[in-house]
Amino acid sequence: MNTSMSRRSVIREWVFTVDHKKIGIMYGVTALFFFLLGGLAALIIRTKLLTPGPDVVSADTFNQTFTLHGTIMIFLFMIPMLTGFFGNYLIPLMIGARDMAFPRMNALSYWLFLLGGLILIISPIFGAIPDAGWTAYPPYSVRSPGAGIDLWISSLHILGISSILGAINFIVTICTMRAPGMTWNRLPLFVWSSLVTSFIQLFGIPALAGAITTLLADRHWGTVFSVPSAGGDPMLYEHLFWFYSHPAVYVMILPAMGIVSEIIPVFARKPIFGYRAVAYASVAIGFLGFFVWAHHMFVAGMKVDAGTPFEISSMVIAVPSAIKIFNWLATMWRGANVYTTPMLFVTIGFLGLFTIGGLSGVYAAAVPVDMHVHDTYFVVAHFHYVLFGGSMMGVLGGIYYWFPKVFGKKYNETLGKWIFWLYFIGTNLTFMPMHFLGLAGMPRRVYTYDPHYTLFNQIATLGAYMLAVAVLMMIYNFVHSALRGEEAGANPWGDAQTLEWTISSPPPAHNFDTIPVVTASPYEFGVSEWVKKEQHSIQ
Amino acid sequence: MGSSFWLPQPITDLAKSVDSLFYIITWVAVVIFLLVEILLVTFVIRYRRKHPKQEGPAIHGNHRLEIIWTAIPALILVVIAVISFPLVNKIQTPPKDSMEIQVTGRMWSWEFRYPNGVTTYNELRLPVGKDLLFRITSSDVIHSFWLPEWRIKQDAVPGRETQIWARIDKPGTYEVKCAEYCGTNHSQMLAKVITMNDSEFDAWMNEQKKKAESQGVNGQQLVQTLGCLSCHSTDGSQSVGPTWKGLFGSKVTLQDGSTVTADEAYLKESIVQPGAKVVQGYSNIMTPAQLNDQQVKAILDYLKSLN
Ligand code: HEM
Ligand SMILES: [Cu+2]
Repeated sequence: MNTSMSRRSVIREWVFTVDHKKIGIMYGVTALFFFLLGGLAALIIRTKLLTPGPDVVSADTFNQTFTLHGTIMIFLFMIPMLTGFFGNYLIPLMIGARDMAFPRMNALSYWLFLLGGLILIISPIFGAIPDAGWTAYPPYSVRSPGAGIDLWISSLHILGISSILGAINFIVTICTMRAPGMTWNRLPLFVWSSLVTSFIQLFGIPALAGAITTLLADRHWGTVFSVPSAGGDPMLYEHLFWFYSHPAVYVMILPAMGIVSEIIPVFARKPIFGYRAVAYASVAIGFLGFFVWAHHMFVAGMKVDAGTPFEISSMVIAVPSAIKIFNWLATMWRGANVYTTPMLFVTIGFLGLFTIGGLSGVYAAAVPVDMHVHDTYFVVAHFHYVLFGGSMMGVLGGIYYWFPKVFGKKYNETLGKWIFWLYFIGTNLTFMPMHFLGLAGMPRRVYTYDPHYTLFNQIATLGAYMLAVAVLMMIYNFVHSALRGEEAGANPWGDAQTLEWTISSPPPAHNFDTIPVVTASPYEFGVSEWVKKEQHSIQ
Repeated sequence: MGSSFWLPQPITDLAKSVDSLFYIITWVAVVIFLLVEILLVTFVIRYRRKHPKQEGPAIHGNHRLEIIWTAIPALILVVIAVISFPLVNKIQTPPKDSMEIQVTGRMWSWEFRYPNGVTTYNELRLPVGKDLLFRITSSDVIHSFWLPEWRIKQDAVPGRETQIWARIDKPGTYEVKCAEYCGTNHSQMLAKVITMNDSEFDAWMNEQKKKAESQGVNGQQLVQTLGCLSCHSTDGSQSVGPTWKGLFGSKVTLQDGSTVTADEAYLKESIVQPGAKVVQGYSNIMTPAQLNDQQVKAILDYLKSLN
């Protein structure tokens, strides 16, 4: 009787919940589960690539594995983690609201995300696994037999609807539900970046939905979008696909940058340097992000000099990223920095490695150089430095930072630091050699390779195994701390100033007993040297 | 064949120009990289909280600095873009009177057709000291024609012709790689490129012409050069397409469940029009081969010999 009672209450508490915090946690746990699957796929890929010949798995299985890996990591892990978990959990708390604007729609977003994810990952059970890469270029994706690509398309459509609903929810919430006194200039930078991210999703996803619908139509309804002999053109899909999927890379980095901007000031006990510059840089990235898509297509069949405008826009979009890096460094300058696990992840981790990914982007953005590096392991290294060295460091830093808030318990700091270093070294071992492999001539998405390249591939695989160990240790750390950790209290970092730290950990269901009145920016740290601190907070 | 962890030796003038740009970007990248990482490490070491009550100074920003670190990266990037424009133009504009090679990618081999009609598969011989223009297309899915040592890459897109030119001055051996993922044997979609002196090239070309006239005699050679064996085995082993061992005269089950006997008519149709009858358990991915009657006959004879 007891168990049936508690089972019913678990259902009521979680399955029927419309509380943004619970929905956020469900997003986070689900996304982490998908991350483990995507990671497993990565281990299969790296294990195969230990040797140059056909080994371990068949060529077709290999192709299916990297397709699942890419699709899962981007659509089922990174985007839902950053928007679904961090966005959902933090935005209402940070702006002083009791929930999202549309709590039921919020729950619907989550369940659609779960549905979309399941449709993709059950494909192996039916033996119909997509094999066209996460980019699914036609005509290959149109000719690919079986239902694998159809499941892939259905999954992306459902995830797209989920993301659009989420984006609308965030935009309305941020625009209309800010607590009194929460002006745009006092808005936490994570909220700024999430607002931009939501607009990107809203404007971009329809292009992706259109693109993958042409695949579905060509596959089943006899249309000829990608059949040149009947007047179609495979490049149509590429343009539509990248019109969303380039901005999507900013969906995967902007919220992570927001996390970095929240964490550094707290542990430096110093205001964020150049608040407006950082906020407007996010807006600039979101806007410019829609003008660079064809830099993925420099050698795809455009005239070579048709790439020029996109080369220029790609160079321009690197500037706001550079601005942020310098502002974060300036925040650390003369700070009273303390290197807790989250601080390690966002400084040595994010700042240190995202810089590398940004710089390798410049090579890819220069048309003549991209002629060589495009579609090689160099590009694989580039986007893993931004996604794994950048976004992922932000995600992990963020998880450690808000862990005490979400669970009300402290995590184990010593273990956290060990995990950081293992993770940091593993990331570099895995992805640094890939730059050199690409330059030397190894194409991406290859099942076999010239024995020349064996050593560097083995180093990369070693790094991947290290990462796997780090991930297992992290799971242990989280589970153990959530159960046994020390009580965290409302504000374990002492003086963190965003609103979520003003209430208990974990926060009560309705968040705030009384809606707070905001009188200052959340970055009023530090001792004034020549002006009185009070004067600042009045302005 | 060059180093295994850095750019391979550039062998054309164009490749050398691309490398110059590459090294300019590299110098800039190294300087920015060192700047950021040194500042980061310095701040990490230097500015640590010494006692629990310590706070940093309440500095909110600085307009002058903000302008400096916006303008300088912008300037550097604009310079990089501008110096790449002449090179883009050079890549874009093939010299007049180039020797034109028609390149066709297909799952999973490369076909090269010379101006005089001679066609080779997975092997491309080129004369040194001549301007060459590759006209690239595909007969099925998207591939990408990449010659790493030449720093040139263009996708092979069905229904579209892309172009890239080159001129090479020394004899040597290189490899074409397919850079765009194209299915099961993507990583095996390689072709050999041999550049040779004029006289050697002419001699080779004459030999090819003679061979072309008498071609069709040797079915075994044909199926090798056409790349058929990347999908069909001759020893009964599993592959992308049905094995040829014992195929002739056998009963074949088709996708719709019906059966046919693999006689000459069926086999011929399967070669020139592979989509007409698809074997159960396989998918319709083979591209039709363009062959004359003599060549078809030679292949049929070879297939029969496998029983
Ligand atoms: C500093 C600014 C950046 C520049 C200039 C830049 C430039 C580029 C260029 C030109 C490409 C196409 C390369 C090619 O296919 O040949 C590319 C690919 C890619 N970039 Fe970036 N990038 C930057 C930042 C980012 C960020 C912030 C992310 C994600 C968080 C990202 C993720 C990716 C991904 C996923 C791809 C590969 C997509 C694929 O082909 O599968 N990049 N980048
Ligand atoms: Cu190919």
